[in-house]
Amino acid sequence: MRTGAGAGASEPVVKDDAAFAVRPRQRRRRPGKRAGQYVGVPFVLPSLVILMVVVIIPIVMSLYFSMTQYSVLGSPTWVGTDNYTKLLNDDAFAAALGNTVVYTLISVPLQTVIALLLADVLARRFRNRFGAIVRSTLFIPVMSSLVVVGVVWRTILGTNDGAVNVFLEAFGLERVNFLGDPTLAIWVVGLVTVWKNIGYFLVIYYAGMMDVPAELYEASGLDGAGRFGQLWHVTIPSLRPVTLLVVILGTIWSFQVFDLVYVMTGGGPGGATTTIVMMIFRAGFQNFQMGYASAMAAVLFALILIIAVVQRKVLKSNED
Amino acid sequence: MKTDIVEVTTRSSVVVDKAALRRESRRPQGRGWPRLADSIAATVLIVFCLMALLPFAFMVVTSLQRTNVITIFLDPAKLELSNYVRLFTENGFGAALVTSIGVVVLACVVNAIVCSFAAYAFAKRPFPGSEALFWLYVATMMVPAQVTLIPLFTIMRDLGLLNTWVSLFLPVINAFGVFLIRQFMSSIPDEMLEAARIDGASEMQLFFRIVLPSMKPVIVALTIFTFLTTWNDFLWPLVSITNDRMQTVTLAVAKLQGRLLTDYGIIMAGATVSFLVPLIVYFVLQKQFVEGVTSSSVKG
Repeated sequence: MRTGAGAGASEPVVKDDAAFAVRPRQRRRRPGKRAGQYVGVPFVLPSLVILMVVVIIPIVMSLYFSMTQYSVLGSPTWVGTDNYTKLLNDDAFAAALGNTVVYTLISVPLQTVIALLLADVLARRFRNRFGAIVRSTLFIPVMSSLVVVGVVWRTILGTNDGAVNVFLEAFGLERVNFLGDPTLAIWVVGLVTVWKNIGYFLVIYYAGMMDVPAELYEASGLDGAGRFGQLWHVTIPSLRPVTLLVVILGTIWSFQVFDLVYVMTGGGPGGATTTIVMMIFRAGFQNFQMGYASAMAAVLFALILIIAVVQRKVLKSNED
Repeated sequence: MKTDIVEVTTRSSVVVDKAALRRESRRPQGRGWPRLADSIAATVLIVFCLMALLPFAFMVVTSLQRTNVITIFLDPAKLELSNYVRLFTENGFGAALVTSIGVVVLACVVNAIVCSFAAYAFAKRPFPGSEALFWLYVATMMVPAQVTLIPLFTIMRDLGLLNTWVSLFLPVINAFGVFLIRQFMSSIPDEMLEAARIDGASEMQLFFRIVLPSMKPVIVALTIFTFLTTWNDFLWPLVSITNDRMQTVTLAVAKLQGRLLTDYGIIMAGATVSFLVPLIVYFVLQKQFVEGVTSSSVKG
């Protein structure tokens, strides 16, 4: 480290065999001082250019658009915070926000608890072929697109000739208007989400459980804890970081829901399943209020950041 | 001497006690209980598996029947492929398949190359400011796609790229791949790269002959993840594709439902085609598939 600039400057010139033994050490010591210090730059450039075009510039533009009035044609006109004040008084946006929260409160706790319980059963009882088959079967809905999931469930739950209603009628029961009833529809969409996500979170939980030391279970077994006692006192506390991940991911996904709602209900009935992203899509691409839609997008972004930070804080404080 | 014996005996008695207790804890409710509990647990798991599979079974059965009334039962007499024929002859599913496959291949290849390039620089050839740049990359991972949707649309429109493969695959590229690969790249010993450099390998040769081959597992994982997100993407194609010849399979399925609300057979046929491609890949590459998709959870 004391060799200083002299060694660094002479370095590129050294080409004789005798110097090879010394060179690597010098390189690591003063990485910033060698001639090739910018060797890495061309490697970064392609990704940087693409990220600029698809994320960095758009995020700046989005903030700018949110302060303008902008239809697809013509150029944006500066209106300052008008869009945001309009949002504050927009009942439809408040309703969409409420729907998104209700949808999240339905799907996230359920998918988290079910995935945890199933993973526990699989990790403690079925670390065998059967368990592996169950895990890969439950993963199948995860790979399917939300559009396919939505289209299939819509057909199954349709009011007039949906499979479930055909079935109900065959047993002499009354038809249920699953997607046409405002209070039911949001539950249906939420439960379909749970159905799709369980396999994903199950796999994450299962991987976490593989890392819980067996001694912890043995020790709690000695203390007389049963299966549920061990789940409560060993598994859940050991998997707190995994739960943090599962809850944050689930919530962020819920706040971004679009495909499923678009295909299953179109936001209806009567706006009962219109979520934030659904509103952004409608405002931007159907009503051509790109500025107003950008303001909603900014609010969505802020909400997602707040959720991530708050959940991290809450789950961290639980640890103490 | 004496104390030694005492210690040994106490120790061994404790061991016996532990083993007995352990046996006890395994069957808290007496004999026969574990087996019963296991079969109850197995039954519950099987019910969950059936619930996961039934909608897909229903989808396939419906797609194979010419009917406007849905049945859950397979009627061999009504079995036919007419829905699939109509899908490809009347509804442009052939073109959609070509577009989807082309876009997916482009996205996977470009993403793998571009991300491992950048990861190499960040992990092995840092330059002044690369640390800060890397954090900028990580920060871009926090931005939800819905937030950049509108500016992205106007950028692609101004570049004249709407309704092209470029507009479909470019937004798929993100910093997550860089982040993922960089972690693995750190495990390549510097000495190995140094030795190759001394042997006269250029930076490019080094990258393609030494670095890239040792990144195979993580690149496979990233590729599977890229494949799935690109294949299943919906919102971006929905807003950016106006030309029916350029629609992706997922978009085509949604459009089928929009146009032919009660023609369940053909809608389910479209859904089946859209679902079949990831399913086949899943069966072929199951282990890497799960790893690829779960590693994306770091993305947040």
